[in-house]
Amino acid sequence: MAIVANQTRFGTYGRPVLAWVVALIFFFPIFWLVFTSFKTDADAVKPEHLLFFTPTLDNYLNMTENYDYWRFATNSVITSVFATVFALAVGIPCAYAMAFNPSRATKDVLMWMLSTKMLPAAAVLYPMTFITKSIGLFDTHFMVIVVLMLINLPIVIWMLFTYFKEIPKEIIEAGQMDGVNTWGEIKEILIPLAWGGIASTALLCFIFCWNEAYWTVRLTTTEAATLSKLIEGNRAPEGLFFGRLSAVSAAAVGPIVVLGWFCQKQLVQGLTFGAVK
Amino acid sequence: MGQIVLDKVTKSFGETQVIPPLDLKIEDGEFAVFVGPSGCGKSTLLRLIAGLEDTTSGKVLIDDEDVTQVSPSKRGLSMVFQTYALYPHMTVRKNIAFPMRMAGMSEQEQEAKIKAAAESLNLTDYLDRKPGQLSGGQRQRVAIGRAIVRDPSAFLFDEPLSNLDAALRVGMRLEITEMHKRMQTTMIYVTHDQVEAMTMADKIVVLQAGVIEQVGSPLDLYHRPQNKFVAGFIGSPKMNLIEGVEAEKQGAHTIGIRPEHVEISTTEGLWQGTVGVAEHLGSDTFVHIHGVPGCDPMTVRAAGEFSVSHGDTVYLTPNLALLHKFDDKGLRIE
Amino acid sequence: MSNRSLPRLLQTPAVILLLIWMLVPLSLTLYFSFIRYVLNNLRRPEWTTPSFSNWRGFGNYEFVLNSKDFLFAIQNSLLIVGSILFCTVIFGVLIAVLINKSFPGQGIVRVLLISPFFVMPAVNAVLWINMILDPVLGLQGLAVNGINDMIAGLRSTPVLGAFFSLWPEFEPISFRATQTSAYAVIIMVTWQWTPFAVLIFMTSLQSEDQQQKEAAILDGAGAWSQFRFLTLPHLGRPIAIVVMIQAIFHLSLYAEIEIVSRGNGNKNLPYLIGEFANNNIGAASATGIFAVILANIVAIFLLRMIGKTLME
Repeated sequence: MAIVANQTRFGTYGRPVLAWVVALIFFFPIFWLVFTSFKTDADAVKPEHLLFFTPTLDNYLNMTENYDYWRFATNSVITSVFATVFALAVGIPCAYAMAFNPSRATKDVLMWMLSTKMLPAAAVLYPMTFITKSIGLFDTHFMVIVVLMLINLPIVIWMLFTYFKEIPKEIIEAGQMDGVNTWGEIKEILIPLAWGGIASTALLCFIFCWNEAYWTVRLTTTEAATLSKLIEGNRAPEGLFFGRLSAVSAAAVGPIVVLGWFCQKQLVQGLTFGAVK
Repeated sequence: MGQIVLDKVTKSFGETQVIPPLDLKIEDGEFAVFVGPSGCGKSTLLRLIAGLEDTTSGKVLIDDEDVTQVSPSKRGLSMVFQTYALYPHMTVRKNIAFPMRMAGMSEQEQEAKIKAAAESLNLTDYLDRKPGQLSGGQRQRVAIGRAIVRDPSAFLFDEPLSNLDAALRVGMRLEITEMHKRMQTTMIYVTHDQVEAMTMADKIVVLQAGVIEQVGSPLDLYHRPQNKFVAGFIGSPKMNLIEGVEAEKQGAHTIGIRPEHVEISTTEGLWQGTVGVAEHLGSDTFVHIHGVPGCDPMTVRAAGEFSVSHGDTVYLTPNLALLHKFDDKGLRIE
Repeated sequence: MSNRSLPRLLQTPAVILLLIWMLVPLSLTLYFSFIRYVLNNLRRPEWTTPSFSNWRGFGNYEFVLNSKDFLFAIQNSLLIVGSILFCTVIFGVLIAVLINKSFPGQGIVRVLLISPFFVMPAVNAVLWINMILDPVLGLQGLAVNGINDMIAGLRSTPVLGAFFSLWPEFEPISFRATQTSAYAVIIMVTWQWTPFAVLIFMTSLQSEDQQQKEAAILDGAGAWSQFRFLTLPHLGRPIAIVVMIQAIFHLSLYAEIEIVSRGNGNKNLPYLIGEFANNNIGAASATGIFAVILANIVAIFLLRMIGKTLME
C-alpha cells in the first residue's frame, strides 16, 4: 500500500512539476532568443540589463536595413514552397502507384529511395558545385528548388505511401467499377480521402526545406540565398550585435516552430518511415 | 443483356496457380452464386470477371465480346463489396451519383435516378448524410444503390452480407433476391455461406481450391451431389458421411445420409448409439450421436420436439432410398 | 497486364529523378577521387581540369588516409555522434516516461518540449555559441561571474568566510577551442534532437499494452520492475530506430560545426571534405567516398529494420 500511495503522490504533484521544469528548460533557449531580440545591441551585453531593460522593437523594424531580411525570407519562402509543391506533384502519383498497384519490386524500390536519403551530402559536394556551375544554375532559385525537392522526395513518398496504405483498396476498386480512369482515381478519390495526410506531408516537407542548411549554404551566394545562409553568414558577431542577431534569428525560426507544433504527430511517422506507430 | 462466359481462364499469383483452367457460362438474367470455403478462389474468380485482377491466361466474354483486356470501368458491370467501399468523403447522394457523374450523365437524369434508387432502397431520408453516420445495413443499401443506377449488364456481389449481423442478413438476403426477380439482371454473388447460396441462387457454382466441384440448381446439388465435397458442403446440418463396414454393405467406399433422412427412435432401429448433445430448436431437434460405426458423431434431425438427453441410448434407421454412395475417389456412384 | 501498366508507370518520374540525383554526382565523386584534380596550381595547370590523363589510382585515398586531419575528423565524427546518441536516448527515455501519463498542461508541455526540433540548425548554433555559451557575454560567462562575485562577498562574512576563502575562483569555459567546441556542438545538437527522441518514445509508449502492465501490478511488480521488464523492452525497437536515424543525420552534421568551429581546428568528416574542396578536389572526393562507406554501414542496419515492418 505504501508504494501505491507514494506513486500516487508523485503522480499528482511531482510528475507535473518535474515535467514542467524539464519543458521550461528545453524551451528556455528559444525564449532567451526572443527575449534578447527586444534589447538594444548595447543592452544585450550588459550584465546589469540581463533581466531588466527598456524593450524595443527597433531590432525587428531595422531587419531590412541591417540584414536585408526580407530578401532572404522571400527566397526561403519561394524555394520551400516550390520544392514542396514539386515534391508532392511527383510524389503523389508515385506513392499511389506503389500503394494500390504494387509489384514485386515495390518494396525494393521504396527501400532504395530511402537509401538515397542516407547518402552523405558532403560526399557529392564538389560534383554538385561543378555541375551547377557548368550549366549556369549556381545560385539560382531553380537549382535550390530542385535540390530541396530531391533531398525530401524519399521522405515525401514514404509518408504518402503510409497514408495511402491506410485507405482500403476496395474504395479505389469501387471507383474503377464506377467508371473512373487512373487520373480520376487520384483526383476524385485518393486526394480527397488522403487530404489530411497530404497536408501534413506538405507541412513537414516545407519545414525540412526551410531549415535545410547544407545545400542552401553551399550552392548559393547572394541571388538565391535563404535564411540559413543569412544566419550562417552572420555567425560570429563577437558580442557586437546580439540584439539584432537575435531578432533576425527569431524571425527566421518563429514561423517554422509554430508550424511544427501543428504537425508533431506526423513528424514521428515521417521521420521513422512508419516503423514506429 | 448480361451473358458471361469464362473460357479456360487461369490465374496465378507468382508461382502459385490459384485457378487452374476453368470454363463457366452464366446465362443472361441468371442469379449465380459462387460458394466454397474461404480461400477456394471464389472471390478471385469474381474479381477476374470484374477486371480487378488480370487473367493469367484464357478469356472473359460478356455478351460474346472479349473483355479480357478491357479495364473494369469499361466492362459495364457493377460491384458491391464486402466492406461496402463507400466513398467516406461524399454524402449518400454523391456516392450514388458518382458513377453517373463519371459517365457524364445530365444533372436531371442523375437526380431522377437517385430519387428512384433511394425510394426503392428506403434511403430517401439519408441522402445528405455521410456513410460514417449510417448503420451497416444502410451502408449496404447505399452500395447497392450505387450499383443499380449504372444499369449494369450484370451485378457482382462479393460477400455483401458477411459484415452484417444475423437478423439483418436474412432481411437483406430477401431484398436482394426480390431485387433480382424485379430487375431480371444477371447477378453473380459470392459467399461462403451455403444457406445464402441455397436460398438465393438459380445456379450454384461450388468451388474448392480454384476448381469447380459442381454447377447446378440448389435442389440438384442437394439431391445429387457429384462428390463427397459437395455432399458435405451443401445442406445444414451437414450430411453424415460413413466409411467402413456399413458403406461396404451398400457397395460403396463412403455412404452419405442427410440428418433429415434418418429415422430416430428410442426403441428400435438399424444402428445403435448414445446421445452426446441434443439441440432443441423447438421446430426441430438436432441430436448428435456417438457410437455409430464409421461416423462419429452422427447428426440426426428429428422434426418437432424429441426428448432425449446426454447418455440416452437411441436407435437409428436411414432412409435407404435417399442414401448417397461415393467411390474411393469420392465421386458419386449412381 | 494492360490494366496495371499505366498506374505503375506513374512511379517512373520519381524513380528517374532520384536515380539521376544519386548516380550522377556520386559517379563524378568516384571519378574525381581517382584523378589529380586541384582548383589552383600554378606549376601544374593541367591538374586544374578533370581528365583521365591525370589518373592517380588510389593516390588520393592514400593521401587522405595519411593526413592527420582525416583520422582526427573520423575520431571527432564518432565522438560527436556517439555522445549525441547517448545523451538523446537517455534524456529521451526519461522525459518520455515522465510526460507519458496525463497531467495538467500536458499539451503545452509537449509543445514546449518539441519546439527545439524545429529551430533551423544555423540559428541553433548561433544562439548557443553566442548568447548562451560565450565565456564573457553569454549566460554561461555571466553565471560564472555571478557565482564568483557571490563567493567573494561571502569570504568577508565572519564565520563562514574562512570556509569560502578555500574555494577557488571559477573560470568560465571557452567553447571556441578545438576540443571544447566539439562539446558545444554536442550540447546544442542534443538540445535539438532530444525532443525528437521524446516524441518517438512517447508515440511508442502509447501503444504499450496496458493490460500487460495491470497484470504485472497484480503479480506484485513495482514501478521499477515494470519499467525494467516491460517498458524498456517495449522501447527496444524505437530506441534502435532513433539511434540509426540520428546516426545518419549527425554523420553529415555541417552547419553547427561550420558556425562553431571555423578556423579553430575542430572538424568532422563533412567539414573536412569542405576544407579539401577549397582546393584539392581529388582528396575531397576520396574523403567523400569514405563518408559514403561509413554512412552505408549504418544505413544497411536501418533499412533492414524498416524493411521488416514494410508492407505489413
